[in-house]
Amino acid sequence: MVDGSGRNDAGDKAREEFFSEAQEIIDALGRDLLALDAALKKGQFDAELINDVFRGVHTLKGLSGLFGATRMSVLSHQLEDALDDLRLGRIELTASVLDLLFQAISLYTRLLAGEKGESSEPVQEIEQLVVALGQVSAPRAGSAAGVVAQYDLDAGLFGVLTEYEEHRLRATLQQGLKLYRIRARFSLSTIDSALAELKGQARPHGEIITYLPTGSTVDAEAIELEILIASHADLGTLRQAISGPSLSIEEVPRRFDTTAEPPSPDASVASLPAFEFAVQDASAKQPVNKRADTRTSLIERDRPPTIFAGAPSRPRPQSVNRAGPMAGEMSLRSVNQTVRVDIRKLDRLMTVVGELAIVKTAIAKVIDRARRHSVAGRELASELQRLNRSFERHLAQMQGGILEVRMVPLGQSFDKLARIVRQISRELAKEVNLVVTGAETEIDKLIVEELSDPLMHMIRNAIDHGIERREERHRVGKPPVGTIALNAFQKGNHVIVELEDDGAGMDARVLVGAAIRRGILTNEEARELSPREAFALVFMPGFTTKEVATDLSGRGVGLDVVKTNIAKLGGIVDIASEVGIGTKVTITLPITLAIINVLLVDLGGRLFGVPLANVEEAIVLDEAHVRAVESREVLTVRGASLPICRLRRLFGLPKEVPSARRAFVVVARVADRRLGLVVDDLVGQQDIVIKPLGKSLRSVRGFAGATELGDQRVALILDVASLVEEVLAPGETRFLAAAHLDAERRFAEPRSAG
Amino acid sequence: MMAEVRKNRVEKRSARRTADAGRTEYLAFVLAGETYAIEVAHVAEILKPPPITEVPRAPGNVLGIIGVRGRLVTVVDLRRRFRLTERPLDRRSRIILTDVGAGEQVGLLVDEVQQVWRLATEEIEPAQVLGAEQPAHIAGVGRPVEGVILILLDARPIVESP
Repeated sequence: MVDGSGRNDAGDKAREEFFSEAQEIIDALGRDLLALDAALKKGQFDAELINDVFRGVHTLKGLSGLFGATRMSVLSHQLEDALDDLRLGRIELTASVLDLLFQAISLYTRLLAGEKGESSEPVQEIEQLVVALGQVSAPRAGSAAGVVAQYDLDAGLFGVLTEYEEHRLRATLQQGLKLYRIRARFSLSTIDSALAELKGQARPHGEIITYLPTGSTVDAEAIELEILIASHADLGTLRQAISGPSLSIEEVPRRFDTTAEPPSPDASVASLPAFEFAVQDASAKQPVNKRADTRTSLIERDRPPTIFAGAPSRPRPQSVNRAGPMAGEMSLRSVNQTVRVDIRKLDRLMTVVGELAIVKTAIAKVIDRARRHSVAGRELASELQRLNRSFERHLAQMQGGILEVRMVPLGQSFDKLARIVRQISRELAKEVNLVVTGAETEIDKLIVEELSDPLMHMIRNAIDHGIERREERHRVGKPPVGTIALNAFQKGNHVIVELEDDGAGMDARVLVGAAIRRGILTNEEARELSPREAFALVFMPGFTTKEVATDLSGRGVGLDVVKTNIAKLGGIVDIASEVGIGTKVTITLPITLAIINVLLVDLGGRLFGVPLANVEEAIVLDEAHVRAVESREVLTVRGASLPICRLRRLFGLPKEVPSARRAFVVVARVADRRLGLVVDDLVGQQDIVIKPLGKSLRSVRGFAGATELGDQRVALILDVASLVEEVLAPGETRFLAAAHLDAERRFAEPRSAG
Repeated sequence: MMAEVRKNRVEKRSARRTADAGRTEYLAFVLAGETYAIEVAHVAEILKPPPITEVPRAPGNVLGIIGVRGRLVTVVDLRRRFRLTERPLDRRSRIILTDVGAGEQVGLLVDEVQQVWRLATEEIEPAQVLGAEQPAHIAGVGRPVEGVILILLDARPIVESP
């Protein structure tokens, strides 16, 4: 269906699943890497995070293998090796190793796009990265072999520890942590939660190296585990922190005589088969399952899943091979309670809701007719009316429900941004902290998708142009590390996203100067510009203050694209800045694209909708205040100029209504530009589901789509952004100033008040 | 999966029909006194014209858009497309919803819909019998019975450039 190559529906669906699952894993990897980065900056090493990354990559490898994504599979394989070295401590986690890992994440994203056929695969980059990873993976000389031997541990223990556990034991001891042994008895029925609780108690104080059953089978319904934990804390603290009914903690003493004879193997080794839990009552099915549960969950927590074919499972001395199939079964069952839904399916559902709304209107009309028909009809009518109201209520609930499903937290795109911040700040050698608030704010999935790129552009700009270098920040008395704050919050039917930096800010005079040099403004126009208008210059196509373009910004592309993209979503960008203090960009977005509120207007007897998100106000057209300025009409509204466009003329519609009646001007605004749309009449407001025009009409400019009104009629919805572009594009700077003066005045009050 | 099975079945059935009988089904309609026909396989639906919304600045032959069960469909006036004199809609006017697999269904406004003809291969003459240079949308001429001449249309060029 997708490419016509004969792939069937089921295959397509599976591929879609693959894409979305892979994307989720990649996103999670990005988050983990960021956390690793943060820990590394504080000089810490979070082994659990490395494990998470390793598991993610491992799963990706399996997935990509299944779906024949060879390059992704190769990359994953190499990455897995490097990560394995990291978690086993064969190589050290440094900023440059992290760079490689981050690079892998971005390559994954591009590979996915390549698999979808959206772009070509970054073949060369992958090869380079694979080579780089290979170089990193060079084994490091082990230096700490002796440390462990100084502890009073059973020699047999080492046969039981996995290579990873052994490494952690060694590493923690090398760091000078003390080693404790906890013996705890768990009831088989509650071992899961009890063990989790114990881990929770232990986690703040140290790292659990391993847990093994002691094999002392006092009770068929209970099991005793020996838990090795490495900790900075002393015995007293640990005893306080970790408590339980049948639990004891002791320190594993350190032997000073390292040449002491190895202790003879004792119970903990000899009884290892007890890991089978010595099931005595095997005839009862229920308990067996429960025990199996317990076992697999014990293992799963520390092991990467081995579900996918082609994944080399390093042999773990005990139990994992036996538990393997069981682990697979378990993970099948443990999927969380969510489903992934293609947004197009939701669109289809929304269309059905729209249809039902039309049915509802039709029923209302029938009710009306019945009421007028006869006395009996009136009775029936009021009964039907009640039913129809209930129908309406449920329909509204359904519509709300579908909208809710479309909503996703903005955090989805914020995660990607955090990665970009790290990457750019390293490339530019500037130190930046990204502080995010309101990541949980929900917005239409499609908007989130479209928002990533504009936000990325603006963050690049903020780092490149805004945040100063460390020395400079020190000189002006700012904290050495710059801050970029990303705030999101809901405000009525809109979501506001603010991007604020504490950088150098923008100097209006510099901007104006650059605009004049680039021929965007004339000297006269420049003189009339207010600071606010000057800031808006950065959104002009081709504008840049940088004389030399860097890889990142300064090419004069970016911010105008940002503005256009946001406008396409029905949003508005606003910018404010103060020299030496910083810059703040505010984006206002509608909460959903599925249902929009439109102002219905009449043009020569035809109905058109204007999205209310783009409407500032509607006023009566006073022809006396219209004057022609260079082949364009301008209306003076409250002392300011507003370019107007007579839609009937633009659309070539016949003049049916004699001009004796007064026309109206709908003042539309897209980002910083305003345009008065002259219409015959205002009809009303309506919530509508907007639908795209067919492919055969894609060349038609000026319409965002159309919607069905109750009575089989279809109304076209204006694409205000493209109309503004079309009408104002040639020589638009002439009007920029005028539009701004007015905007300035209108926005001045709330600004100074708040 | 189901869709695939169903599709296969449909394909098999129509394949058998054409193979067994060697015939293709055509829907005949009238336009300015002439009888045209379009392959039934390309017809999704026949509609009585609902209110049509004009789209300003659309290509000249596009009459406008209509809503068909929640979808928007572009309607092409075939009289305009074939440079025939226009006339207002009447009770016989129909919109033939065509689906040629171009990613969208397009409605063709015709004067009147007649009947379905099953044409054997030998009953179809190439377009060249009408003259050497024929527009892309003329696929040939059908002669099912004595005295009936069908101008066979290929809807694809019309849908692709209305």
